[in-house]
Amino acid sequence: MNHRSLAFRLAVWYALLISATFALVGTGMLFGLGQYLRSSLADSLRRRSTQVQQILEQAPAGVSDAAIAEAINSRVAPEFNNRFVRVTRLPASLVYRSGAPADQSFDPLAVPSLAPRPVPFRATVQSGTADHIQRLVLSATPLATASGRYLIELGSSLDSIDALQQRLLRLLGMLLPALVFCAAAAGYWLVSWALSPVDRLSQMAAQMSVQNLEARLPVVPSGDALQRLSIAFNHLLTRLRDSVLSSRRFLADASHELRTPLTVIKGELQEIIEHPEVPSALRDRVGSVLEEVARLEHLVAGLLSLSRLDAGEAQREWVEVDLAALATGTADQMRLLAEDRGVQLQSPVLPPVFVRGDRARLKQVIVNLLDNAIRCTPRGGFVTLQSVAAESCNVLEVRDTGTGIPPEALPHVFDRFFRVDAARSREDGGAGLGLSIVKSICTAHGAEIEVDTVLGKGSCFRVKFPSIAAGPTLQLGGAGS
Amino acid sequence: MRVLIVEDDRKLAQFVMRGLRAERFAIDHAADGREGQGFLNTYPYDLLILDLMLPRLSGAELLRSARRSHPSLPILVLTARDATEDKVRQFEAGADDYLTKPFDFAELLVRIKALLRRMPVERAEVLRIADLELNRLTQQVRRGGQRIELTAKEYGVLEYLLSSPGRVCSRTMILEHVWDQSFEGVTNIVDVYVRYLRRKLDDPFALKLIHTVRGVGYCLRTEAAHEAIARE
Repeated sequence: MNHRSLAFRLAVWYALLISATFALVGTGMLFGLGQYLRSSLADSLRRRSTQVQQILEQAPAGVSDAAIAEAINSRVAPEFNNRFVRVTRLPASLVYRSGAPADQSFDPLAVPSLAPRPVPFRATVQSGTADHIQRLVLSATPLATASGRYLIELGSSLDSIDALQQRLLRLLGMLLPALVFCAAAAGYWLVSWALSPVDRLSQMAAQMSVQNLEARLPVVPSGDALQRLSIAFNHLLTRLRDSVLSSRRFLADASHELRTPLTVIKGELQEIIEHPEVPSALRDRVGSVLEEVARLEHLVAGLLSLSRLDAGEAQREWVEVDLAALATGTADQMRLLAEDRGVQLQSPVLPPVFVRGDRARLKQVIVNLLDNAIRCTPRGGFVTLQSVAAESCNVLEVRDTGTGIPPEALPHVFDRFFRVDAARSREDGGAGLGLSIVKSICTAHGAEIEVDTVLGKGSCFRVKFPSIAAGPTLQLGGAGS
Repeated sequence: MRVLIVEDDRKLAQFVMRGLRAERFAIDHAADGREGQGFLNTYPYDLLILDLMLPRLSGAELLRSARRSHPSLPILVLTARDATEDKVRQFEAGADDYLTKPFDFAELLVRIKALLRRMPVERAEVLRIADLELNRLTQQVRRGGQRIELTAKEYGVLEYLLSSPGRVCSRTMILEHVWDQSFEGVTNIVDVYVRYLRRKLDDPFALKLIHTVRGVGYCLRTEAAHEAIARE
């Protein structure tokens, strides 16, 4: 689980909010229930007190305490109802005191006596020993009748209310973590589920490249931000395609338009140079101009080549090509070029390695990589070319013992017009397009190109072609070539 | 021999016409497709040189209609595009040959002559210049009777230079004939081979045959045609 993901963070916030809500509601419930139970207890005490008052008021003067006790026992039944009743004739003569309640929740003898003044039906009194504290609600009502002045005390144990509150607390304590966990998990799942179209969008967007400019994201028909996002994305892709296409068209048109004037310039100058009456100094200068024309020509050809590769070449002419044989053959054609520069070109004969592609284009990759390696390698160095069939891909490798590429230049080696050593390669007539053409051809063939380099020690360019599924096709291609 | 060139670029047309007139061709120029069609339907031509990008009537359309009305007329297409696919399409549409701009005039001339079969590409068994002799059957090269061992590529370069003695061959032309399209831009490979060839063919002898024309290419001549075409 990604701790920084939106789903995780949302789930955590969700859990926190839910816990806070539950805690608030739980506290409220606990408190509210206590209040309710106490007030209903007070009501019941008040009713009993009224009954006792009626008994005392209705008692004829001089009635015996035993008769009063009899009347209270029969009409109020405090023991049975777990109530405490005490009637005192003021100033201090006990008329009646209820016995031990049925649930044994308090000891009637230990209940402290209250002052002879009214006490509301809410007062809590603690009594009893340290190991058995009795909490009681106790009220006192003074009453004056014909037979004398009385103090009626009524009480009830708080144990049942406390127990109920305890149970509720325990229940909440158990339920709350479980609920929060469930809510958080559900929240995480919900957020992940809600984000899954975004995930799909991003996966599809990641597959977009300059190679498939026509691809569009599926529009999520949700009518909300996601739908707007996918539509906006597609608009962006369309604008991107238009701009890429127009820049490609410009590149193609420009290199195209340059070719006719180049033909004229070249033709006219060649005519001048071959004219017998032209003085030799002028001839030399025209020759120098012609050299520049040749460079322009090369540049224009390179640009046109790139624009065609960008536009995506037809794969119609793709065949199965033995990369190893092509590499060895090309190296043989270029060996003299290397030897002329004092560089030894090594290309061991290796077992066939088959890739699918345009033979001429693949050869151009080898030629450009070798040309680049030979240029970069000083006298006495080595350039090694080999192709190896690995398990998942076929690798073409050009290794040199040349100058290497400085780290700051490394990300740019495949950029158009980029030269590691501008002064030197311009002198060589390099336009800085060779490696970007290589890269474009590789991309068109679904191949990856990577470069390892150690400054002063040399570089290694590695082209990884996707392997063609081994099978009858491969054998057929192998036998045919 | 009467040739029609349909090319909208006036300067290019003039340059080609001047060169072809020097080679004793009669040449007409049409500046757009419609005009070209008019010329074609009016005069008898031995060859049509056609640019593909034309105003009014495109080169491709003119090519198709010309092929229908003149089935046996050799047509050479000039184009600024060099996609192989395009090439295939033009051949399918009836072009007999195809030349990509920027081309060398020498190359154009070779192609024209080949198309007209006036000068079939020299297929003589033995090619000679001065005391240099190349036998195409045995692939042996001798100079002054002395056998000279050449590698396959050196032989290829020499054979190409010998096939049009006296004419300057550009590096690109040599590259395209002896190597292939994949070597586009690696023209220095031609210089290296010519240097090796010189070492074997010219260095031991007083008369130098291989000459460098700066900015253009190489040429086989018996003598320095003019002092300025100097040895490197």
